[in-house]
Amino acid sequence: MEIGTDITWDIFTGLLLNTLSFWWMMIPAVILGLVVGAIPGFSAANTIIILLPLTFAMDVEAGLVFMVALYSASRMGAGIPAILVNIPGTAGAAATPLDGYPMARQGRGQQALAISFVASTAGGLLTTIIALLAMPWLARVSFFMHSVEMIVVMLFGISLIATIAARNTLKGLIACFFGLMIGFVGTDHVYAAPRATFGFLELYDGIPLVPALVGLFAVSEAFLVIEGESILTKRGRELMAAPSWAATFEGMQICVKRWWHVTWCSIVGLAIGVIPGAGASIAAFVAYQQSRSFSKTPELYGTGHPEGLIAPEAANNGVTSGTLVPLIILGLPGGATAAIMLVVLEFHGVNFGPSLFAERPEIGFGIFIAMFVSYVFMIFTIIPLSRYMTRVTVISTSFMAPVIISFTLVGSFVPREFAFDMGLALAFGILGYVARKTNYHVAAILIGVILGPLLEQFFLRAIRMANGDIMVLFSSRLGNALWLALAVSIALPYALDYKRRKAETSGGS
Amino acid sequence: MSDENSAELDAEPSAASGPRSMGAELVIPAGAVVFTLYYFLTIIDSPWTAQVSAVFVGAILIALVLAFMITAIRTVARGDGDWGFAALLQPLSYVKTRLYLLGLTVGYIVVINWLGFTITTFLFLFLFLAMALLGQGKRVKLSLSLAAALSISGYLLFIVAFETRFPFGPFETALEALF
Repeated sequence: MEIGTDITWDIFTGLLLNTLSFWWMMIPAVILGLVVGAIPGFSAANTIIILLPLTFAMDVEAGLVFMVALYSASRMGAGIPAILVNIPGTAGAAATPLDGYPMARQGRGQQALAISFVASTAGGLLTTIIALLAMPWLARVSFFMHSVEMIVVMLFGISLIATIAARNTLKGLIACFFGLMIGFVGTDHVYAAPRATFGFLELYDGIPLVPALVGLFAVSEAFLVIEGESILTKRGRELMAAPSWAATFEGMQICVKRWWHVTWCSIVGLAIGVIPGAGASIAAFVAYQQSRSFSKTPELYGTGHPEGLIAPEAANNGVTSGTLVPLIILGLPGGATAAIMLVVLEFHGVNFGPSLFAERPEIGFGIFIAMFVSYVFMIFTIIPLSRYMTRVTVISTSFMAPVIISFTLVGSFVPREFAFDMGLALAFGILGYVARKTNYHVAAILIGVILGPLLEQFFLRAIRMANGDIMVLFSSRLGNALWLALAVSIALPYALDYKRRKAETSGGS
Repeated sequence: MSDENSAELDAEPSAASGPRSMGAELVIPAGAVVFTLYYFLTIIDSPWTAQVSAVFVGAILIALVLAFMITAIRTVARGDGDWGFAALLQPLSYVKTRLYLLGLTVGYIVVINWLGFTITTFLFLFLFLAMALLGQGKRVKLSLSLAAALSISGYLLFIVAFETRFPFGPFETALEALF
């Protein structure tokens, strides 16, 4: 496949200046994106749908800039409530609270937000540049990723259980497998036979993700926060009593010092993003797992470790540019927002595919230039706000609990407009509450709910194409390489831990 | 909040610091097994494509729960835990507040279909804040004004600005007719 994606300096500067001229469109789109990303139930996809008449009415380039800026900002916005109140705005930010929320409780919310913003921006900028330069090769990644390879990628995500439930792996596994069973609810992928739907038609399409996310994180959190006056620890309250800009600069510095970590995790996000059907949640979990596997201080993950926050934030923003690669080169959207962009741009007469770069280079390259500029706008818009956003953590839990419940429950109503989904969110909330009180990790349940249907879909496809031969799972060279990488990434932390303990023992004696 | 790092909270000491409440810790595994058995019941007559993943994962889940049961029995036998539910209920002084919030939440979900987003949110916030603030000796007026400000802000942000299709009731219908 020959794709004329060579970008010259003249084209780049021309497009950059053209994109910058849409600053008046970009700033409101960035603010809107940050807000909708931060509210569970809202997303860039459904906001663009709501604003379709506006984007249809706009000039194609303005519409493109608006959608791309909103999309990128929503990804960053989703991390804000995940850090401050343990409620991810979208499933893509579900791994963010693992280390972000403990930081906020310790009074380091401002630092955590700065880390999140810089990691997101750096991840977004870097992967945008890589996507721009390496589009033809990246597009081919999706050709090589068949069902078998996808199964292994999913298992990378599931193996994160060993990380987040390191203190009690058995409980972690029970939570994850319970999540997988819940994820299998709904009709089967081949004959549409209903399974475990309790007679509810609303469950025939499977468990909707937003009520699960809202329930497991937000509702259960509300029931827990009322057990104290503040979400902050004593030390956290002391730190929050004297806020200063230094925390923001420290956060930025931490991120800059770990530039290699940001680079590596954002590339993981980009690679997963180009695979249609994969998404930010998988990328964030895989990046977190990989980050811990190769860390020198894996025991700090989950306690408010900056690297545990950098990994998911860099990865889920890397996905943003990744999902646009198959859209542009193959006309194949890599996610829901990319699919809506496809509809809008086709309405404007844009035909995606290899010929796009010859016919409409301002669109082909313009998407990534717009994303690049959006991230630059975003960092300057949001970094100064980190100090003030953190004040959320000092709000009394008497106010926080009912606000969390009312606004997130109704957020779970938004995607499908079923009142049933609010009841489902409450059911997940009770499950999450019991899980948290008895030290089962809710993120492990959520990983199962997210990956369950995907894993089943790819597994069935692989098995059916191989006429029931299970050995198909080891039939491809790339698949086998991924199996090996999976085994290494699971075994490595144990090997490093063993080596460290051995060194300590010999050092001690 | 509830993760294993939550010991520093101001709440009463949790059960985690004392003997383990294995009864409470078995709630999730028991629920998982009941759900898995129900799942199996619903797929008995289904084609193999509907069964294969669930049977595979469900069998592993049941095996994991059995392993956890053995661990629980050994923990209790060693005297490191009991069959109680203390971990689930503590701090006991908040049981009433939790039940009140749960009751209000169920009410919110039921009533929102008739009263719509704004009125239901106002009632929900007022009823909870009144209870919480009265407990601190503060006035009902504060609860009323906070609940009104938050629900109207929600209406303006979500329904007016974002044009989100939230549940409609008399308030939203009346304002839509007016403007």
